[in-house]
Amino acid sequence: MYQYDAIDQQLVEERVAQFRDQTRRYLNKELKEEEFLPLRLQNGLYVQRYAPMLRIAIPYGMVSSTQLRLLADITRRYDRGYGHFSTRQNLQLNWPKLEDVPDILAELATVQMHAVQTSGNCIRNTTTDQYAGVISDEVADPRPYCELIRQWSTFHPEFAFLPRKFKIAVCATDSADRAATQVHDIGLHIKKNDAGEIGFKVIVGGGLGRTPMVGETISEFIPRSDLLTYLDAIIRVYNQQGRRDNKYKARIKILVKALGIEEFRKRVDAEWEHLRGTESTVPMSEFDRLASFFTEPAYEALEDQPAELAAKIAESNGFARWYERNTFEHKKPGYRIVTLSLKKPGIAPGDATADQMEKAANLADQYSFGELRVSHEQNLVLADVRQDQLIELWEAAKENGFATPTLGLLTDMICCPGGDYCGLANAKSIPIAEQIQETFDNLDYLFDIGEVDLNISGCMNACGHHHVGNIGILGVDKKGEEFYQVSLGGASGHDASIGKILGPSFAQEQIGGVIQKIIGVYVSQRTEEERFIDTFRRIGIAPFKEAAYAKDN
Amino acid sequence: MPKIIKNGEIVENTYVWQQDVEAVATENAIVPMQKWLDNQDSIGKVAGIWIDAGEGVEPLAGVDISQFDVIGVNFPTFMDGRGFSYARLLRERLNYQGEIRALGAFMADQQGYLIRCGFNSFEFAEDVNLDIALTLNKPFSVAYQGDVADPRPIFLRRG
Repeated sequence: MYQYDAIDQQLVEERVAQFRDQTRRYLNKELKEEEFLPLRLQNGLYVQRYAPMLRIAIPYGMVSSTQLRLLADITRRYDRGYGHFSTRQNLQLNWPKLEDVPDILAELATVQMHAVQTSGNCIRNTTTDQYAGVISDEVADPRPYCELIRQWSTFHPEFAFLPRKFKIAVCATDSADRAATQVHDIGLHIKKNDAGEIGFKVIVGGGLGRTPMVGETISEFIPRSDLLTYLDAIIRVYNQQGRRDNKYKARIKILVKALGIEEFRKRVDAEWEHLRGTESTVPMSEFDRLASFFTEPAYEALEDQPAELAAKIAESNGFARWYERNTFEHKKPGYRIVTLSLKKPGIAPGDATADQMEKAANLADQYSFGELRVSHEQNLVLADVRQDQLIELWEAAKENGFATPTLGLLTDMICCPGGDYCGLANAKSIPIAEQIQETFDNLDYLFDIGEVDLNISGCMNACGHHHVGNIGILGVDKKGEEFYQVSLGGASGHDASIGKILGPSFAQEQIGGVIQKIIGVYVSQRTEEERFIDTFRRIGIAPFKEAAYAKDN
Repeated sequence: MPKIIKNGEIVENTYVWQQDVEAVATENAIVPMQKWLDNQDSIGKVAGIWIDAGEGVEPLAGVDISQFDVIGVNFPTFMDGRGFSYARLLRERLNYQGEIRALGAFMADQQGYLIRCGFNSFEFAEDVNLDIALTLNKPFSVAYQGDVADPRPIFLRRG
C-alpha cells in the first residue's frame, strides 16, 4: 500500500499542530463555536448526541495491521474500546473527548493516518472496490488512481468551502460496482479506449440524502493524464454555481439536475478548456510512482482448490456456507479473498471491538501479507489468503466473531449508528437491525432467500444508504415517536436505482414482521434464477404492498 | 485608522471599502464591481473594485483590470467559498498582478487557503485580534496541488 514520504508526513504533522492550536483557541474561547465548527468538521470531528464523534480516514479502505493495531489501542485509551466502520470505508469513534482529539491525531500521524476532510463541505475520502488489485477482471488496479485523487483533494485550497460535501468513488470492473459509484457526487469508472489507453468514464450528480439521484454520464472517456484538470473543472463550476441558499439543495446533483446534463457538461468543458494541458496534467512518471506502491505481494505458485479444501467443503456444512458466502475468487490460483464479517447478530453492523481489531490485524499478518481493507458494506477484508489456509482462518474467524456466513444476504445489512449515537437521527437504527437479525435467524432460510441488500438509515441524510437498498428502511419522527418507512427496489451497483416507498410508515415492533411478509412475496413469486431485486423489477411493488399492509388475521 | 494584514504584515489600511452603492466614489475607494462597470466613464479614479459572492469574474472580461490597485472579494459568510475561485481566476486567468483583498466574514484560519488562491491582503472584521490573525497568515509549508505561487503539483516537485 501507499507509504508516506517526508512530504506526506510533514503535511499530516503540520495539520496536527494546526488542529491542536485551533482546539486550544476554542477551549480558550478565542474561537467562537460557529467558527470552530467548520474547522473541526474538516478534521472529522462532530459534536453528537452524547459525545463528540471522530471519523478517522482510511483512504480507499486500505489499512495495514500496524495501523489497525494502533486504532484498536486508541479506542481503548481514548474511547470505550470499540469503533464503527462506515460505508465510506472510514472508522468512527463514538466517545472521544474533544480535548483529546489533537493527541489522537498526533498518534494517528505516527502510522501515516489522519482525519483530514472526513467531514465538512469539502472533498471527502475517496472510496473504491474492496477487492481492488486482487480480482481478475478489473481494467486496472484503482488504488494508484485513488491515491492520486487523495493527494489532489487533500487541502485543496480552492475547494475547502464548497456548497456541500463532495464524495468521489472509483470502480474498475464491469462485473460489479462495489463502491456505489453512481450515487456519488462523482463516480469514476476506469476504462481502456480502443488504443488501450487508460482513462475514466465520469459520472456526476449522484447522491442520496433528501433527494436521492443516480448520477449521469458527463464524459465517456477522460484520459488519465487529464483526470485532475477535469475534476478541477467540474468542482470549480460547482463551487461557483452550486446553490448555497438551502443546504438540502446544495449538492452537485441539484445543480446538474437544474441545468440538465448537457448544459452542465458545456460549462465544465468551457472551464476545462482553460485547465487542460496545464501543470496539473499527470505525467506517466507519476502513474508509475503510484503504481509502484501497489505491486503484487510475494504470491507463491499454488494450485487452485487443494484437496483438503474440497474435502472440507464436502464434509462441513458450516464451512461450506462460509466459503460460499464470505470468500471470493482471487486472480491468483490457490488464493482466495476473505471477508471478515462485522455483522454478528446482536452487534451493531460495522462495529468492532478493540480486541477484534487486534485479532483482525493478527489474522492479516498471519494470512494476508499484513494488509486489510474496509468494505462499503462495513466489513473487513483479507485480500490474499492461501486456499490451503482457509480452514485454519475460518476457525480463527469463528473464534473472534468474524465468521457470520451471511455476506450479501439479508442480514448483511448496512446500518448507520442512528439515534443511539447520532445527533441528526430521527430514529434509532441499530435496534431495527437487531430485530431483523432475530427475525431471520435461520441460516437455511437466509441462504434460500439469497442475495438481498437491506440498508437502514436513522434519518433523511441517508448515511445507511436506504435509498439504494433492495429493501430500504428509513427512520422518521412522527410527533416524537419513531416510525420506519420501507422502500423497495433500490440498488447501488452498475444497475443503480432508487427505491420506491412502499406506503405509510410502520411502528418499530412491526418491522420484523413486515420484512418477513415482503420476503414471503418474493419467495412465492420468484423464478429459479431470480434474486430479490430481479423479482421486484419483474412484478413491481403492488404485490409487496398488498402483503405488507394486509390485516393479520 | 483601522489596520489590515497585507503581504504578511500588519499595516495601515489606506483604502476605504465602500459597500454602499450610493456612496461617493473617492480616489481611495474600493467600489462595487457592478457600480464601476455601469459608470466607468464617469466614476473617475478609484483604488479598485470589489466582487460580491455570486457575481463571478466573468463581467471583467474585456476590462483592463491592471488599472486597479486592489480588487476585493467579499465573503458574506466564512462558509461561502466562491471567493476562493474568484481569486484564482483573477490571478491565473485574468493575470491580475495587483492586490487581492479578502473582505467580509472570512476567518483568520482560512488565510492559508486564501493565500494559495491569490489573496495577499486581509481586511478583518473589527473584533478580530490582528496579532493572533497574523500567526495564521501562512499556508502549510508543503502542498500537493499547484497554486498561484507555484502552479506545479507535488508530482512535478518531488525529488
